[in-house]
Amino acid sequence: MDGLYSSWRQKKRPPLLRPTRPLVLANKVANRREQPGEATCITEMSVMMACWKQNDFNSSACAEEIRMFHDCVAKAEKERREQAEKAEEDTWGLRENLTSSKANKLLRRFPNITRYV
Amino acid sequence: RLTQVRWSRYNAQYLEPEVNRELLQKSWDELSEEEKAEQELKAVRPIKAAPSNVTSSVFSDPMISKFTNMMMRDGNKVLARSLMAQTLEAIKRKQLEKYHQAPEHEKDKIECNPYVIFHEALKNCQPVIGLCSITRGGKTYQVPVPLTDNRKRFLAMKWLITECRENKHRRTLMPEKLSQELLQAFHNEGAIIKKKHVLHKMAESNRAYAHFRWW
Repeated sequence: MDGLYSSWRQKKRPPLLRPTRPLVLANKVANRREQPGEATCITEMSVMMACWKQNDFNSSACAEEIRMFHDCVAKAEKERREQAEKAEEDTWGLRENLTSSKANKLLRRFPNITRYV
Repeated sequence: RLTQVRWSRYNAQYLEPEVNRELLQKSWDELSEEEKAEQELKAVRPIKAAPSNVTSSVFSDPMISKFTNMMMRDGNKVLARSLMAQTLEAIKRKQLEKYHQAPEHEKDKIECNPYVIFHEALKNCQPVIGLCSITRGGKTYQVPVPLTDNRKRFLAMKWLITECRENKHRRTLMPEKLSQELLQAFHNEGAIIKKKHVLHKMAESNRAYAHFRWW
């Protein structure tokens, strides 16, 4: 930091950085989307919609397809929940990267102190 | 700073009360492993007080209670409950009339139990797939999205109630109109079923946007 201003007379060039705010670490991290994720159960949905188109949206005629769609949705939901739980328990075991929410929680507990009273 | 206005005064230790009669009448040996663990936990933890709309009687039905709560206005539970009772009575009367006028071989097919009719009608009104607004590149698209069970039930009940409140003649009362709508939904006809079909058609026409979902 001193290197920006101290030797200006000798170097005869303006400083490279002109910070608008003081260079201090903030107590939060920006939101980062971990994986974009994919839409689940699209095949089941398209099968169900094809069935609907043929049978004029009659629910009783397409009962099998609707049931398969519901099963697929329930399975996807369960998988997502299990994945979220696994991510929850692992984090304090120091994996390589923290999610932004975890990092924010940690920083809230141990913040960077900027003011002294 | 933000403070909560509505929150539960029970701390995290409190457990929900058990209202299910069949579970309470089972002896210790008949319970499964998880149920035994639950009972042992209940011996050490405090239990919340049961709310006044929850009973272990044979006549209580959680769906009917939820529907009455949704019909209630300004906290007038007495009126909502009486309307619900009158609706069920009206359904029973109509079905009995049909039953007594029908010939012998058709008497089996007429359903007289208003609770069965209510549940069946609600099940017929539930949409299978819903639409969600997702913004991509400045434009908002209606993306077809699977719905949870709670959301389906809520939508069915909401449609039923708004339909009965708005599209009726000035002189018809709510129980009368509700019973008509429920019987129509039971037979898969009527305005609410049409609304469900319209939603399905919209979802079907927008099925190209299904990949915009990320869950």
